[in-house]
Amino acid sequence: MAREYGTDNWIDWCPGCGDFGIVSSVYRAFSELELEPERTVVVSGIGCSGKMPHFIDVNGVHTLHGRAIPFATGIKMANPELGVVVNGGDGDLLGIGAGHFLALGRRNLDVLVMMHDNRVYGLTKGQASPTLPRDTKTKALNTPSIQDAVEPLALAITSGYTHVARSFAMDSDHLKEAIKDGIEHEGAAFLNILQPCVTYNDIHTSEYFNERIEKLEDWDAGSVDPPEAISKSRVQEEKIPLGLFYKDTETPTFEERIAGQLTDYLEKVPAEQDIEEDGKTILDKEAFRSKFDENLIKKEK
Amino acid sequence: MVEKLSIILGGAQGSGLETTIQILSTAFASSGNGFLADREYYSNIKGRHSYAHAKVSSVEIPRSIDSKIDLLGCMDAETLFTHFEDIVEGGYLIYDTSTGEKTQDSIKSIENPLRKRLEESFEEIGIDGTVSSLVEHLKEEKKVEVVELDYPSILEDIQKEFDISSSHASRYVSSILIGAVAGLMGLEEDVVKSGIERKFEGKEKITEQNMFLVNKVSEMVEREHGSPLKLEGSGLDEDELLMVNGNEITGMGKITAGMRFQSYYPITPAADESFFIEQHASFEDEGNVLVFQTEDELAAITSCIGAALTGTRSATATSGPGFALMVEGLGWAGINEVPIVITYYQRGGPSTGQPTRGSQDDLMNALYSSHGNFPRIVLVSGDHEEAFNDAVKAFNLAEKYQTPVIHLMDKFVANFVKTIPVPEMNEIEIDRGALFEGEDYRRFEGGPISERAFLGSEVMWYTGSEHDAEGNVSEDPMNRIKMHQKRMDKLKIAEEEMDERVIYFGPENVKNLIVGWGSVKGVVLDAMEEMDEDFGYLHFRCFSPFPSEEVTSYLGKSETVIAVEHSYSPRVSEVVSLNTGYQIEKEVVKFTGRPIYRDELIDSLGSIIEGSDREVLKHGP
Repeated sequence: MAREYGTDNWIDWCPGCGDFGIVSSVYRAFSELELEPERTVVVSGIGCSGKMPHFIDVNGVHTLHGRAIPFATGIKMANPELGVVVNGGDGDLLGIGAGHFLALGRRNLDVLVMMHDNRVYGLTKGQASPTLPRDTKTKALNTPSIQDAVEPLALAITSGYTHVARSFAMDSDHLKEAIKDGIEHEGAAFLNILQPCVTYNDIHTSEYFNERIEKLEDWDAGSVDPPEAISKSRVQEEKIPLGLFYKDTETPTFEERIAGQLTDYLEKVPAEQDIEEDGKTILDKEAFRSKFDENLIKKEK
Repeated sequence: MVEKLSIILGGAQGSGLETTIQILSTAFASSGNGFLADREYYSNIKGRHSYAHAKVSSVEIPRSIDSKIDLLGCMDAETLFTHFEDIVEGGYLIYDTSTGEKTQDSIKSIENPLRKRLEESFEEIGIDGTVSSLVEHLKEEKKVEVVELDYPSILEDIQKEFDISSSHASRYVSSILIGAVAGLMGLEEDVVKSGIERKFEGKEKITEQNMFLVNKVSEMVEREHGSPLKLEGSGLDEDELLMVNGNEITGMGKITAGMRFQSYYPITPAADESFFIEQHASFEDEGNVLVFQTEDELAAITSCIGAALTGTRSATATSGPGFALMVEGLGWAGINEVPIVITYYQRGGPSTGQPTRGSQDDLMNALYSSHGNFPRIVLVSGDHEEAFNDAVKAFNLAEKYQTPVIHLMDKFVANFVKTIPVPEMNEIEIDRGALFEGEDYRRFEGGPISERAFLGSEVMWYTGSEHDAEGNVSEDPMNRIKMHQKRMDKLKIAEEEMDERVIYFGPENVKNLIVGWGSVKGVVLDAMEEMDEDFGYLHFRCFSPFPSEEVTSYLGKSETVIAVEHSYSPRVSEVVSLNTGYQIEKEVVKFTGRPIYRDELIDSLGSIIEGSDREVLKHGP
């Protein structure tokens, strides 16, 4: 029987929230991939999407606003054998955490980043997020936003993510496949998930997205060329394309790059190394002396 | 023949001074001498004045340095202008005669306040302000013996001898100073050679050319002056010594402790530690240490926490401005009971402050930063030996009490180079605390100290929100009380179990008690030895949990209690007052960012005994 990934915690998102679609697609994707709960870690930031780990029966690390990526980075680097998935909101990943978002791309660490993109800060009552287009006035705003929106996919591609896709929270089949594909990719994967905020965003609703979404004919646009991938990912003539726009399997992962410099990194991952013997350090005096011989000064007789 | 020597070697940053210092310090140590040197430098890569201020001793490992020096070795004119006042009567000076006509006006790197002080000083002593007028003054009025060397002509000789370009030859200016010091101190050729070989390992030609120059200069100097600064005796008993700065010895401690992940963002004076660890990252059989340069300090601490959750001993190293960014992560580690170590080297603040100068002004920052309340352990090290032991201890405490440990040091410890005995490795314990074995794991079950399991072995939840035993968010008031109490109680247990949080030096029931911590230790102990009045020194090793009982037992007994600290106003007095109610009324402070010198501390303690409440130390350029 397929494993269930739900927990006993009551899910306290607003009725109709796009996050329900996302978490149920996560259950289906994890189940189809048969992920081991002990060997899987869901890392989240702050906000509505930050609650995700508590609703999924795998390891969950609910971190600080904007910092899900560096937490995940430390976990993955110290134990590259774990599967690590980041969940963050648009404000979390592209506002307060933008520097980390870029850094993960530069590293191409094998982590999937799922961005819950509803274009508002929901949990603080609907302020404009970095993906809200300029001149938009949702019902929660006093005045229209005067800041331009970030293009998340273009940013991810130019930052170095090697697997860049867009899906929709209310299309569970599409989203489930997108999550699976992102997890199976070896390297930094970015999945932008459009979702409605039923309480604070009265403009970008499910209907709004349904009218504009256009799935790529195949899931994979097959692009290995960043400018072409960016161009295909763009919203044009009111059409929002869904699918995988960019895939690069050539660029080495961060784990491979580290292994190129650090002896036995992947064979003896930091988390699995023995550091003591019978409660004592494994460095005896001779090992210490030979390791730090450059600092050792012998008295000349 | 003498037992101890105080030396300053100075030159422009990036001009070869570092090479001179490294080679000479190796030579001193391999002659069997104890060595301690402060490194002072600007926030600058090339051109500004930089110097090493050392004490070398044939009878002990020095613990402090003196403001007055026996020998000043100048690579340039600015060094002479900056330090001439500190040469003792009858001391020695090495300088470049080709700079004789230089005046301070022609040296752009001299800062205006020093320029003004020099003008006043030259007017007072009645000289025209050229290097040669100043040298004449030192000869006549202070009986300074001057080693006069024409650096360019010496370099020309080596250029001809080895048929090298003049720009190549100019790199050998460091060896002129080495040769002159070797001559005055009568250093054996072998020990200088071992220093040069160590520095230029495998580069035979460079070694040969440097040795040629060193021998030539050393012979010239010995012919004219003899070796009046030769150190007595055969030196210390140890057959080998470790020569390290504080960054290095702390890195050694972390590696010894089994640290396998260190994250950092480049910052002075902490980055050298990470660099050193990276150089020693791979072991032959036992694995490796992953050193990770992050995009900022927010990522440094949070990646460190992430790594710690997998069971990896993890740390980060920073100074004040970096720690400011780490505070949000610190709180997360506190509420989630994550064992991390933050190595914190203080420098002058606030803001960018004095990035390359020392300070002890961040004690409150280390103790109280972060919103909310959680247990933290704050260890403080006063010298290299303490830094090594604390670096190991920090991980044991972090894992035992499952809480962040801040290992607080400063730029002085970080950059002071010192010879120390090789640590006794078989005494070093590794304590990983309570680990989970069983089924149905709940991360925050029981307590106050719950059993740990690592990501990868069980299923568990962490959250920066208040949570229940399983790690799920809970805002229930009774749960809040239970979990908050659980965390804070860990500090009570630590308080009962942790020994040596304060150390007392001196006889019982002294009239004058000095209270301090960190890098004031060595200079306070040395100053006490020189004082006629009786003194004791209460030296903190840990500020959290605060050793209230022990501290109270000492404070009441002495007539005069004096705080000594590198800060505007002693933080230690504030913390003692907060924890014990006792008001320390007297203080000796220094906040120029330069070290406290033994002689100036002795003078200031004298003034305190005579009734002064506050002495502000100023010495050091």
